[in-house]
Amino acid sequence: MKALDRKLLRDLWNVRSQVLAIALVVSSGIALLVMAQGVFGSLLTTRDAYYTRYAFADVFAGAKRVPNWIEERIAAIPGVRQVQTRVVVSVSLDVPGVTDPVNGRLISLPDRGRPALNDLALRRGRFLDPDRAEEALVGERFAEAHGLDLGDRLFAVINGRRQPLEIVGVALSPEFVYGIGPGELVPDPKHFGFLWMTRRHLATAFEMEGGFNDVALTLADDSPSLERAAIVELDAILDPYGGLGAIPRADQTSNWYLENELTQLENMGLLVPLIFIAVATFLLNVVLRRTVAVQREQIAALKALGYSNLRLGIHYVQWAVVVVALGALLGIGAGLLLAEAMLGLYMEYFRFPLLIYNVSASSILIAVGVSLVAATVGALGAVRSVVSLPPAEAMRPAAPETFRVSLFERLGARRWLSQPARMVLRNLSRRPVRAGLSIVGIAFAGAIMVVGSAMMDSMDELLEVQFNIIQRQDLSVSFFEPVERSAVHELAALSGVLQVEPTNGVAARLRNGHLQKQTAIQALAPDARLQRVVDVDYRAIRLDRPGLVLSTLLAEQLQVEPGDTLMVEIMEDGRPVREVVLTDTVDDLLGVTAYMEQESLRRLVRRDDTISGAMLKIDSLAEERLFGLLKAMPAVAGVTLRSAALENIQTYMLDNMSMMMSVNLLFAVIIAFGVIYNTARISLSETSRELASLRVIGFTRGEISSILLGELGILTVASIPLGLLLGYGMIAGVMSAFESELFRLPVVVDPNTFLVSAATVLGSMAVSAWTVRRKLHDLDLVAVLKTRE
Amino acid sequence: MAAQASAASVHRGPVFSMKGVTKVYAMGEVEVHALRGVDLELHEGEFTVLLGPSGSGKSTLLNILGGLDRPTAGRVTYREGDLSEAGERALTRYRRRHVGFVFQFYNLIPSLTARENVALVTEIAGDPIAPEEALALVGLKYRLDHFPSQMSGGEQQRVAIARAIAKRPDVLLCDEPTGALDISTGIAVLGALERVNSELGTTTAVITHNAAISAMADRVISLADGQITSDVRNATKQPAATIEW
Repeated sequence: MKALDRKLLRDLWNVRSQVLAIALVVSSGIALLVMAQGVFGSLLTTRDAYYTRYAFADVFAGAKRVPNWIEERIAAIPGVRQVQTRVVVSVSLDVPGVTDPVNGRLISLPDRGRPALNDLALRRGRFLDPDRAEEALVGERFAEAHGLDLGDRLFAVINGRRQPLEIVGVALSPEFVYGIGPGELVPDPKHFGFLWMTRRHLATAFEMEGGFNDVALTLADDSPSLERAAIVELDAILDPYGGLGAIPRADQTSNWYLENELTQLENMGLLVPLIFIAVATFLLNVVLRRTVAVQREQIAALKALGYSNLRLGIHYVQWAVVVVALGALLGIGAGLLLAEAMLGLYMEYFRFPLLIYNVSASSILIAVGVSLVAATVGALGAVRSVVSLPPAEAMRPAAPETFRVSLFERLGARRWLSQPARMVLRNLSRRPVRAGLSIVGIAFAGAIMVVGSAMMDSMDELLEVQFNIIQRQDLSVSFFEPVERSAVHELAALSGVLQVEPTNGVAARLRNGHLQKQTAIQALAPDARLQRVVDVDYRAIRLDRPGLVLSTLLAEQLQVEPGDTLMVEIMEDGRPVREVVLTDTVDDLLGVTAYMEQESLRRLVRRDDTISGAMLKIDSLAEERLFGLLKAMPAVAGVTLRSAALENIQTYMLDNMSMMMSVNLLFAVIIAFGVIYNTARISLSETSRELASLRVIGFTRGEISSILLGELGILTVASIPLGLLLGYGMIAGVMSAFESELFRLPVVVDPNTFLVSAATVLGSMAVSAWTVRRKLHDLDLVAVLKTRE
Repeated sequence: MAAQASAASVHRGPVFSMKGVTKVYAMGEVEVHALRGVDLELHEGEFTVLLGPSGSGKSTLLNILGGLDRPTAGRVTYREGDLSEAGERALTRYRRRHVGFVFQFYNLIPSLTARENVALVTEIAGDPIAPEEALALVGLKYRLDHFPSQMSGGEQQRVAIARAIAKRPDVLLCDEPTGALDISTGIAVLGALERVNSELGTTTAVITHNAAISAMADRVISLADGQITSDVRNATKQPAATIEW
């Protein structure tokens, strides 16, 4: 080992705690990047492999009832490679021992052989025996949620009749990676499940013999024009049979959620790592500047001995390289572990039969490279001034630091300040840039905490609005087929039902020129109380004019404004197209929806006065008995509990967010500690001589501690409001980046979030201060008198 | 402890008394005997010069007198108080109330002006001289608001002296006060010390390797290799201004 390299290692060892603190900041940035990239890459690769191996379809369509011979016509659509027709029905399920309402979807499997498309991955048990009518496969999460085992029985309630089902296998389908039920935001396997039955038996039970009501197909290639053409053809073929409008893979529910998640992951992994790297660069620069200042005479001696500027430059740049290398090592390790933990969480909600880890090496290399370049720039900036000095000049001590009376004192505060307080202020104001950057660095720690917690606050707000202001029913009931409005009275007559409001909806395609969007138009009574449309200030909007009200996001997508006319294609018999005026838009938070006053909608659709479901407010004491009664009603396809939905979302959030929160807390503490501790060590190094002199002339340890810590305290306290502000700005940015059709998070920051953020920063300062204060006790009072600085 | 005894109390005994004081430093694996059984008394109002080459132990002696260090063996008393047994807090209190220090490299606080450097001490002292007055005493009343970086070495050292005497210390300890100065500024500094000793009556000990300075002392103690080799009382004191080296 060369002598200079030994010097490097020993120098680093002397400031090991600072080196470690900076390396931790670097590692946090790299870990975040590796984690985000790792989760994104793995999910993407896993999804693609799953879709390919299990033949996930390209186009999906539902209809009322289509005769089997139509399948040939569908197969003949140009560009169609494979067609799969199925019977799919929504049922209410009776799981022994479960009193809550449980809904499910029964999907047919071919009588012989495996499905050509949307194939199942069998997790346990076996495939169906076509000769046994009662056999069924269940989805994995549903089986887990209810502790179902092979051989267990449950019942599908079909037209009021209980059809027994025996579980012979547990399976996963590429169609239900994110196995969400209708109207749900988060999969709720306790209350919704997927089951598969043999086509023959399912068709018999639902009077669908000789026909199908669901079709999926794959295309020869993935060109958008082929897809569009195929959808148009398919719609035309299914039209006479109650076609509900075909959708491309991109709009398929599970895939859509998965896609949304991937996009978020991809965007997430950049900004925050960059903050960490910037802070680390700054710290490295400050520490190196100090080291170089202390080693000024050594540098001169080395130059006098014949070392070149370049060699010395490299020597100090190696500092940065070692720190980044250490950080990269820690960061990559931690990032991989975090990615695995995150993937574990994802696998809970997104179900795949396989998992392919894929952390792209190039993204890691880029992260390390960027850190390295940034650190080198930081190091060079520190070294340049000294290396460029002629040796003879460098041999002499640097000119004494010049000080000024600080601005604060000049403004008149001077007379009130003790001498130690003046020292603190002047030390800070002598290096305003460094003090400023320290403040910004610490502020980022606070901001990261704010962002982490504010996500929770926003989610809470969203749930509060959705489940207390918009949806106020206790449960909602859906029917197999639209029923007479008089059903409302029947429901109201059940004992325990306090209030009933009908729901009605129609699937529709909204069109403005070439822009179109498939959605459902919800009918609402003008005086609806259980489900309402609310504006941005959470005030209920009264729907009393004919015409559509759209979610603002939907209106933007369609490029329409109130007063404009839209073409509405009703996805029912004959698919009539009507012109409807957009009367209003509403800044809602969840989903994208179209609303209409119920009577106007009925006239638009020109159908009888029917309803497709109802919302109920009930007496909680009568709950269980009421569930039984509702399930027994032949028309009822499903019953959904608002409280269960809310609870499910909260669990999901807690699962996801609590991990993110701990990671955020850890990183915020690292960054706060990194900045504060380094600032403290540097100012200790710079002022130790003064502090020792003060000790000699009779100042106590407490008094000199307060000088050093006063400086830290000012930086920290100044950083807090900035951190809160930065955090608020960042959360607003994050929220707008998260804005999707799924949800728009309101920017809400609970005062507690600010408190927690401030407390984290102050706590980090306390720990740094405590660590450095111990060094103050070891000041060598005698040595300081014998040396010139 | 008695080291807290009021400086104003009338006292006729020695201010300092050392008996059999040794000091051993462990320098890595080698033991250095800085003091080997020193006996010494310093008296009220005396101006003493401790003379010796580097390594003779004079700085160690001064540090022990000043409460910056404790002897390995032997006994040191300040008035009735035992410095050799005092704890960290007691020594800090002792330095704060009774001792004024002047160092070779001044040890001023660069971020504070001359006046503020002195105020640093007057703010924590019981009955101080006003900073302006202390600075006037060392001939610096026109440099009150200058920062150390704006003053010459001699001026900085005089600020250090003003800082040391402003609390009216019972004893002024100076370690090579002219070591970093040229002769003319060095003489100005010595003049300041002389004036403080005569006008305030402060017991003063100056350590130096510059034998010329001993001419201005009441008493000259020479050290070599950790022991006192001579202890001489000057019959006449030479004014600082006439010293040459």
